[in-house]
Amino acid sequence: MTLWRHELRLLLRQRLSVLALALLALLTVAALGTGMAEVARQRAAIAAIPSAQAEDIGAVADYVVRTRDAGSAAYYSFHATWDAPAPLAFAALGMRDVAPYILRVRALGLEAQIYDGDTFNPEVALPGRFDFAFVLVFLAPLFVIALFHDLVSGEREAGRQRMLDALPRGGAALRRRRTGLRLILLWAALGLPFAVAALVEGVAIGIVLLVLGVIVAYLLFWIGLAALVGRLRWSSVANAATLAAAWLVLVLIVPTLGNVVIDRAIPVGQGAEIALAQREVVNHAWDIPREATMRRFYATHPELADSPPLGSDFHYKWYLAFHQNGDESVAPKVRAYRAALERRDRAGRAFGWVLPSVGVQALLTRLARTDLTAQLAYQDRIRAFHARLRSFYYGYVFYDSPFGRDEFRRAPRFDDRAGG
Amino acid sequence: MRIVRLIARDELRLMLRNRVALIAFALIVLLTLVAVASSWSHQRGVAELRERHQHEAEHAFDAQPDRHPHRMVHYGHFIFRPLSPLAAFDPGVDAFTGNSMFLEGHRQNSANFGDVRQSSLLIRFGQLTPAFVLQIVAPLLLIFLGFGSLARETERGTLRLLMLQGASRRQVVAGKLLALGGVALAAAAPAILGLLVIAGQPGALGLPLLVIALGYLLYLGLWVVLILLVSAWVRRSRDALLVLVALWAVTTVLLPRAVPDLASGTVPLQNRLQTDVAIGRDLRRMGDSHNPDDPHFAQFKQALLDRYHVKRVEDLPVNYKGLLALEGERLTSELFDRYAAQSFAAQARQNGLVNAAGLFSPAIALRGLSMAAAGTDFAAHRRFLEQAELYRYALVQRLNRMQAEDVSYADDTATDAGADRRKRIGGAHWRAIPDFHFVAPTDATLARAALPGLVILSLWLIAALALLGLATRRLGAHR
Repeated sequence: MTLWRHELRLLLRQRLSVLALALLALLTVAALGTGMAEVARQRAAIAAIPSAQAEDIGAVADYVVRTRDAGSAAYYSFHATWDAPAPLAFAALGMRDVAPYILRVRALGLEAQIYDGDTFNPEVALPGRFDFAFVLVFLAPLFVIALFHDLVSGEREAGRQRMLDALPRGGAALRRRRTGLRLILLWAALGLPFAVAALVEGVAIGIVLLVLGVIVAYLLFWIGLAALVGRLRWSSVANAATLAAAWLVLVLIVPTLGNVVIDRAIPVGQGAEIALAQREVVNHAWDIPREATMRRFYATHPELADSPPLGSDFHYKWYLAFHQNGDESVAPKVRAYRAALERRDRAGRAFGWVLPSVGVQALLTRLARTDLTAQLAYQDRIRAFHARLRSFYYGYVFYDSPFGRDEFRRAPRFDDRAGG
Repeated sequence: MRIVRLIARDELRLMLRNRVALIAFALIVLLTLVAVASSWSHQRGVAELRERHQHEAEHAFDAQPDRHPHRMVHYGHFIFRPLSPLAAFDPGVDAFTGNSMFLEGHRQNSANFGDVRQSSLLIRFGQLTPAFVLQIVAPLLLIFLGFGSLARETERGTLRLLMLQGASRRQVVAGKLLALGGVALAAAAPAILGLLVIAGQPGALGLPLLVIALGYLLYLGLWVVLILLVSAWVRRSRDALLVLVALWAVTTVLLPRAVPDLASGTVPLQNRLQTDVAIGRDLRRMGDSHNPDDPHFAQFKQALLDRYHVKRVEDLPVNYKGLLALEGERLTSELFDRYAAQSFAAQARQNGLVNAAGLFSPAIALRGLSMAAAGTDFAAHRRFLEQAELYRYALVQRLNRMQAEDVSYADDTATDAGADRRKRIGGAHWRAIPDFHFVAPTDATLARAALPGLVILSLWLIAALALLGLATRRLGAHR
């Protein structure tokens, strides 16, 4: 144990090492702080939904109760959905800055609504977020390089190598001690602030431990790389340059190349085509006999086929029916689009198996539920909720039941946890 | 001058003998070529796709049958943001902004289907473009090649030998500058060449191109000076390397990420839900067309009746419903403009904070300059959104006017069996509506937007040169 203490004293006497460790801890704390602030902002935005919604729906109700027309209620009522950040979201914000976490939908065609985005500043999103995942994936390796590049070569250059090798408990044991000590300190600089933040945010212990394990594994990868380069017996300078170049390639260049390859290999039919096609079907309904629209609609919704037939007046049941027909007509396109997105996402994560930087990023965003999978799951919840909205309003619109304030209160409410 | 050239040649010869340096140099050239090729073909593909979609959308709009004009207000129009030709060099925020927009009445939709939501997680690691290579990779290469140029000479005592042979400190430093500067030029050459190829495209612009080239040369020149500065200041080459890598990591990797995050925390943006609810609230206050007792619309109606000297809206020579639609759209659009302006202003304030941080990070200054000159920054996206809104408003109001003038009030309110037919007006009307044409910014506008970045980079270069001058004077002196 005394030997370890001596090593610690030695290490702490090096200004560069102390500075590096303090800086890493500081950056970690700062990144955790910005991540937590961002998540707090998102939670506050979600918490502000009910009052805004109450005001908006109240105004719609004031208007609709004059006619008690369910169709108008369906047409004018926007219903809020949201995707509350998971406890770990603060550590890896993932796509939450560019994909909406609040989306309002109404019982009309969903395909014209579900791809809408929220307001965000693209120049802020462009470089990526300053979160814990960034500090771990991008910056931590640089600190490993700073602390490990001269672990052996430094002693050799100082002329102490042979002497150290000859000492009892020197040589390999000494190197192991030094490596272990640096690993523990780096891990503490990253892991301790993270663990505190995670406990504050209420992250499950299992996940905290998993992330702490991931940190060790990722650090070990870079330490291993530094050891490998160290075996070449080059000078400290050459080691540092080689490791920095390796960092550049593994963290910056290969992922960007990978992105080019994936974009080429897996084309994604443009989502815009869904929107264009859906619009054609929806609007075409105005130019064909209304009965044709209803026949098509009742074929897929036989439970509503017993509702009273259309008169010559405009009726919302026809309007809602052709909106749903529009959605159903593009369903194959939607499935293909989504499948392609998932293929791209899988390919990106597959990169993670060979590239630790990508692997850690993928794992953290998965655990934090901020990746594309989480986005698509949110879309599924929106779809499920939208289906509930439709069946709720159809129950009134198709049978001409009056729609009053009670009905406004009875309208489905989005449930974040129970799948819409 | 002869001595300076000699020293430069000697330095270059040393680099040539360094196999790692050669490989690194070859790799960066290769990387640039890959970046130019892939970025260019990507840009062409995207531009073609958007153009095709735009044509399809225009064709679909023109091909609509006889309709009630209000149906066309809801049929709406799709427009696609054209890609600036220089986006092949620096795509900027293009992947992060939606590139298609659905324009319809009463609503202002978001621009959707940005690449960032359609790509794997790798896109957040950065995009391989010539701009990325020059902004981030090239400085690191220069660091590897130049960190030891002066530190090595002082460390090994060869500086003293050089000086004994009659070379002054200034000449030594100038020689090294020349050598590393030459390498920087060579490293930038493929990207600049790529830029020229891109410039060969129709529509590519002369002045912005020049500004971009100048900006990148300033930036790489600055790194050359910084490298020599650190190499002169720090006694051991290893320390020089560590200091330079740290400087590079902080200014090109850390700050460009951390500063925007700080800026977005400082200036909050209102989200869409709150904006929509606020617009609804303001609208109810200004005038609610659904409310028969609404004072604004009651006044509007009375003013109309007075103007045409009639008692009832049925007696108006124009379709009252069309006029109501015109007035309603005017009110909502006014609010859209006001709230959009607020949001744009907040985002511009965020970007202003980020750009000011260029004083701490030349990479931030260069990134802003490069995107601004390439026409791929937030301002360019905003230009598109504003033109889209202008077009949307003109389109919707034109259709509303058709309803007011070409559809009679009696037909418009009729519900008999033949009413639907009478409400419709000829499809030729749609074909007469002009298509959306994005008015690209002029060369001067783009170049002017890049000016602050150029100024900041120049300030950096001047400051670094002054410091290098100081460091030169005490080069090799013992502390």
